[in-house]
Amino acid sequence: MNAFESAREQLLAPKYLGWLLDGWLMTIASSLLVIVASTALGLVFAAARGSPRADLRRATAVYVSLFRNTPLLVQLFFWYFGAPALLPEAAREWLNAGHHVSVAGLRLHWPSFEFLTAIVGLVLYATAYVGEEIRAGIRGVPAAQLHAGMAMGFSAAQVQRHVVLPQAVRIALAPLFGQYMNIVKNTSLAMAVGLVELSYTSRQVEADTFKTFQAFGFATLFYIATIALLEWTSAWAVRRTRVKA
Amino acid sequence: MSGAIAVLFDNLPYLLWGAWPNGPLGGAALTVLLSAGSAIASAVLGLLFGVALAMSRGAAHRLLVTVLGFFRAIPVLMLIFWTYFLLPIALDIDVPGVLSVMCALSLVGGAYLSHAVHAGIRGVPAGQWNAALSLGMGRWRALRHIVLPQALRMMLPSFINQWVTLVKDSSLAYIVGVAELSFVATQVNARTMVYPAELFMLVGALYWLLCTALERGVWALVPRDPQRGT
Repeated sequence: MNAFESAREQLLAPKYLGWLLDGWLMTIASSLLVIVASTALGLVFAAARGSPRADLRRATAVYVSLFRNTPLLVQLFFWYFGAPALLPEAAREWLNAGHHVSVAGLRLHWPSFEFLTAIVGLVLYATAYVGEEIRAGIRGVPAAQLHAGMAMGFSAAQVQRHVVLPQAVRIALAPLFGQYMNIVKNTSLAMAVGLVELSYTSRQVEADTFKTFQAFGFATLFYIATIALLEWTSAWAVRRTRVKA
Repeated sequence: MSGAIAVLFDNLPYLLWGAWPNGPLGGAALTVLLSAGSAIASAVLGLLFGVALAMSRGAAHRLLVTVLGFFRAIPVLMLIFWTYFLLPIALDIDVPGVLSVMCALSLVGGAYLSHAVHAGIRGVPAGQWNAALSLGMGRWRALRHIVLPQALRMMLPSFINQWVTLVKDSSLAYIVGVAELSFVATQVNARTMVYPAELFMLVGALYWLLCTALERGVWALVPRDPQRGT
């Protein structure tokens, strides 16, 4: 056996690299889905958190306390094992059965139960963090901005849309990207409810090949690359929205 | 509902302290031990590397930032895999699962805290440094007696946040089969096969109590700053 072959021996076979790559794609796809959904929900959450209605403010405070002071893993277990038991029998069967949805002539496969519960759990958890960052951004806009907008004859909704939100986004951008990085890292917990993402496949490769160092090494590199990409996007977005003095 | 209460009540001792005293300690008690150990170790690491960040310059500083950045860029779960599978190989001894998880949690917690410590040290006004140096103190003595005591007060919220995160992250020990609260919860779930929703709500409530008690408890213990009234 020559040196080249023994070096190859130490690496992972293409088949296993394929597994890891598939896992990485699942990590990226679910992260993107969770980022978009939690940002949309986070906007609604931030609006409720700053609402003049006391019951809405209390409800959001309870939400934050419940979702931030319990582990994500336990929340995922709840959605995976617990929530279906609360659903009526018919709904449970429908969820577990395979379905096809037709969107614009495309036949889409209904996602697996594991995928659905993982995404629901991750989104609800992330919203408690993303929503608070958006809220902090909105609070960072001086009240004088709001008053000035109103004085110029904008309606309350117009002031929010054209005066407050653009400034709030600028303030919240860097912390928001910090939360998006947490979302990417948090998707690793979904392996516990059977989502075949990067951590899941790295464990599979490790069990199959006993090449511990290589399996976790590649997965670690994939994670670092993803986080670095987000870091870079964040720096670019912050630079782009910076107001020139 | 009364059926659920009966089942949960029967399993409550197992959820709280595992098989102890007839077997190894587990459940919420092990979660507390695991979190406490990691909290102390992460605070020590955070202080050490935070001070190192503040006092180092040039290449050493950049190297430190890169290494700490590495621990913050990978999921805690991945780091647990590393310590769980490679510590026994590297040290050539049998490392108990609890210790390898504690090691991973301390490293991650320490990496986050070191940045908080660094920021706290930089947050102390330059006049404090200058005053100490002009009194003839060296940089390290100024840090120890003048800057750190003031910085620590500013860092407290970061420490509390990180410790609450540690309690939550200790649940990841489930993945390598350490019998802490989340792991015994899945055992109870598999054994009883009824009332999974109620079971995981109870487990969530136990974690919630731990985290909230920790948060409130530390604030209550800290002497108030007479000047700032915080």
